[in-house]
Amino acid sequence: MTTARFDEIAAKVRAGTRLTEEDGLGLYLEPDLLAVGQLANEVRERLHGDRTYFNVNMRYEATNVCEASCRFCAFAKLERGKPGAHTSTHEEAWRELAEFPDPRLSELHMVNGLDPNLAFEWYEELLRGWKRIRPAIHLKCFTAVEIHYFAQKFGMTYAEVLRRLMDAGLDTMPGGGAEILHPEVRARISRDKADGDAYLAVHRAAHGLGMKTNCTMLYGHIETLAHRVDHLARLRALQDETRGFQCFIPLAFHNMNNAMEQLPEPTAVDDLRTISVARLMLDNIPHVKAYWVSMTVETAQIALRFGADDLDGTIVHETIYHSAGSTVPMGLTRDDLLRLIREAGRVPVERDSLYGVVEEYVRAIAPEASMKVRDRNAKKHLELAR
Amino acid sequence: MTAPGDGAPRDGKAIGRALAVNRYGAGPIDPGGRLRLAGVSYLNARPIVHGLLQGLGGADLLLELARPAEVARRLFEDEADAALVPAATIAAHGGLEVAPGIAVGADGPVRSVVIVGDRPVEELDTLLLDASSRTSVVLARLVAAQRRGGRALPVVSRTPAQILAEVREGTGAVLIGDEALAARGRFAHELDLAEAWKSWTGLPFVFAVWGARRGVLGARERALLAASLEAGLAARAEIAASWAAEHGGDRAALERYLRDNLRYTLDDAALAGLREFYARAAEARLLPPCTLRVAGDAGTSRAALPAPSIDALLDAAAGGARLSFDDALRLAEEAPTLDLGLAADARRRALHPEGVVTYIVDRNVNYTNACTIACRFCAFYRPVGHEEVYVLSRDVLRQKIEEVVAAGGIQVLLQGGIHPGLRLSWYEELFRWWKSEFPNVALHALSPEEIWGLARIETAAGEPATIEDVLRRLMAAGMDSLPGGGAEVLTDRVRRKIAKAKCTSAEWIECMRVAHRLGLRTTATMMYGTTDTVVDRLAHLLKVRDLQDETGGFTAFICWDYQHDQGVKQAAGETGTVLYLRMQALSRLVLDNVRSIQSSWVTQGPGVGQLALRYGANDLGSTMFEENVVSSAGTTFAMDAAQIERHAHAAGFPVARRNMRYEWLTEPA
Repeated sequence: MTTARFDEIAAKVRAGTRLTEEDGLGLYLEPDLLAVGQLANEVRERLHGDRTYFNVNMRYEATNVCEASCRFCAFAKLERGKPGAHTSTHEEAWRELAEFPDPRLSELHMVNGLDPNLAFEWYEELLRGWKRIRPAIHLKCFTAVEIHYFAQKFGMTYAEVLRRLMDAGLDTMPGGGAEILHPEVRARISRDKADGDAYLAVHRAAHGLGMKTNCTMLYGHIETLAHRVDHLARLRALQDETRGFQCFIPLAFHNMNNAMEQLPEPTAVDDLRTISVARLMLDNIPHVKAYWVSMTVETAQIALRFGADDLDGTIVHETIYHSAGSTVPMGLTRDDLLRLIREAGRVPVERDSLYGVVEEYVRAIAPEASMKVRDRNAKKHLELAR
Repeated sequence: MTAPGDGAPRDGKAIGRALAVNRYGAGPIDPGGRLRLAGVSYLNARPIVHGLLQGLGGADLLLELARPAEVARRLFEDEADAALVPAATIAAHGGLEVAPGIAVGADGPVRSVVIVGDRPVEELDTLLLDASSRTSVVLARLVAAQRRGGRALPVVSRTPAQILAEVREGTGAVLIGDEALAARGRFAHELDLAEAWKSWTGLPFVFAVWGARRGVLGARERALLAASLEAGLAARAEIAASWAAEHGGDRAALERYLRDNLRYTLDDAALAGLREFYARAAEARLLPPCTLRVAGDAGTSRAALPAPSIDALLDAAAGGARLSFDDALRLAEEAPTLDLGLAADARRRALHPEGVVTYIVDRNVNYTNACTIACRFCAFYRPVGHEEVYVLSRDVLRQKIEEVVAAGGIQVLLQGGIHPGLRLSWYEELFRWWKSEFPNVALHALSPEEIWGLARIETAAGEPATIEDVLRRLMAAGMDSLPGGGAEVLTDRVRRKIAKAKCTSAEWIECMRVAHRLGLRTTATMMYGTTDTVVDRLAHLLKVRDLQDETGGFTAFICWDYQHDQGVKQAAGETGTVLYLRMQALSRLVLDNVRSIQSSWVTQGPGVGQLALRYGANDLGSTMFEENVVSSAGTTFAMDAAQIERHAHAAGFPVARRNMRYEWLTEPA
């Protein structure tokens, strides 16, 4: 029951022909969502079989003080001293890691606001301290927006900023801050931070230094489908140059406590379709992640059959989405993730931050794993998030 | 369709030899390892089980006799290893082998299965029948259509007791067993259905055979069953005599019936007759297509006659073919989730070509939380006498109903617990008050559990009432429809574990049967994910489908998984989003006679509830003002009309508001 246009695109995918932006739009407009999902699933299984990745990670935000005023953001508190504004001390940040209970923790994922009061050396010392506590911890820190901010504020090139942070312990960069790269959209939702070209330039610089990074897209607000496809094409073009992106992560717009509360949020069909279109368009990026914090645990599980091969990780204490109204749990346990992946009929693979295999869970689903309480009491989580 | 390496979630356990290993892990395997047989308690089956009743097989064997529907149930629910079942059951199950050589059949007149009427079948307008006797019903419908040049004869299902009373001008009836034998000569026209079959096809008709799952009937078991029949054939006079002594009737006539009318051999001619029956029934869509497999016969083994591939099954299901239990089981265990979704989506499109998603503006009101049933999974109820017990006052009810009206609502789903202090008259007064105050707010009220509870409470108070009495009085007081709640999973091994005091599966179904016959429309639900396995869930779906064949009274089916929370005694079993979407898609495929499938976004969340529209659902249920039962267990999803419409629109569907009968109240937009 698919359209002729879809069949044409499917034939290109099966022949290994690169899709055009028009094809990407065609996939967004195809009425048969499951057919698009199935096509993306084919590519996903060609690349990864049943393997589905997750890691044991923690998120950390050292400061929510931020000079930028992105309209979609509910996390930033703009100025020190404002209610809710908080900047950690080194000791607080280090203690989080030192006291982390799971010895299998492999990654610390930090993103921050653009805090004008912090010296560059403060960040360097923060990373060094973490490495002193756990030398093996993988530090995935700073969005391209932060790197761009440091470069401007401290008078360095991107490469200089990155090299110093790498010397201090930085291993990879997360993909945050991409929002929508097209200037028509970006200028309207986040005018006072790194623009789309700067975002790409920072990642290009990082890749040039041999660093792997991720990339994202914040969708479902004021952008058009054409803007989304354009965004994917820009990422794909940089990847052709550098091969430095490991994973693409679509991020769904949430509408609480920000300047775009009047906009509806994207729904699950859009979340899944975006995963599928990304998998099909980004033929040169190895992984597509169903970030469960963004799309809910339930939809993320379904996304594992719509093109996604990664569920992110345990996260433990997410605050950015929860500030914007997310009602998913703050974190998941490794057992939760194993259960979610197995229930979807996939093989869980615990990975490190560079997609090295820590453990492949090939045995059959453990009965106790399916007995876990599905904890999704929205009210409880909202209270925790406050 | 299936991509290589697409490992579908396994919804079940590995297959083992049924005798040694219970395939499904949940059935009550006989602890002594005995062969569990179920036989039919009727006279015509007595020669087949005679030897077994006389002690053949000794202590290795457990034989129980029951009515045909119960015998079939035991086989479906894995409570028997082999059972003497109606021929239709073999097709409805789809995964059984039959024992060689043994059948209850007839090669010419059988006398005990007839169509009677004031005129020949060719001229009848309507045929009354007891739809639970599926083999005879299918035979009657095939024969009637054949005699009427292919025109189906409209049928109406009635209880055996009602049938004779309702035969009138132009309205005939299918009579079975004693009623048939007793009716001889009382009607102007009588058509013996086995005789009619013979003159039509030239073949014997087979009413019942031994059915067993693959691997059960080894050489030893086959020899045992053959020996039992051999003993029975030699003892027909004795069987007739003891039957006559116990049940009445003419000994000689009974013996003639056993000797002259019934034929107990499943020979080549009988097998050909059986195959012919299955082929014609499948063609008329009265039974799922059936490949007859005889235990021990290599020529009909799966190697010789392979079962359809999963892709072929999916295609057939998407095209509207009726699925057997075994077909459904294979899809549940092996079909990739996306493929199940695509097939269910195709069925949804075929049944609802207008492509409209519906919902209703109503609210749940829980009039009391007092309950004596104490289900292990329930976080809502309070035992009688508990300080948190409430019964809503009229003032509170009025306020809640007024809120519904203000929001454009047209109905309230009114449910509570089994409160022993609330008599039937309390409900009647409540409903009358309701209808006088709010004549335009429909009462979608109570559940089979509450109907049975009321019958018990009335009876205990010295005013005996049947569920029919209760339903009639509630309808007279203003009840508009009956929600299908409290079904949980309709197999008693599950119900006994999670809700010991609840009505049985058969009682739940019976309440719905009575309600439908009284003209009430109802829904059907399934809450799975406690101790149930895939077998329980599919048995549930087939019970709903069977009753729907009989009555047509279900408007919609809704399933969801158990929402577990701390503090509740019942642990969660097989649950999760993937399983939910698979179950819902399977429901759409199996329930070919239930028009609407509701997405359970209240339990699964708006996102999955929306996706469910691509996995077979055509309805988004109702708006949620409040709901206390599921939310007591920690699930707190809520959407108003605007949000429901937004989710449907985003999924590509126009939306219409509906009533409980799924009639549109607004133009789709």
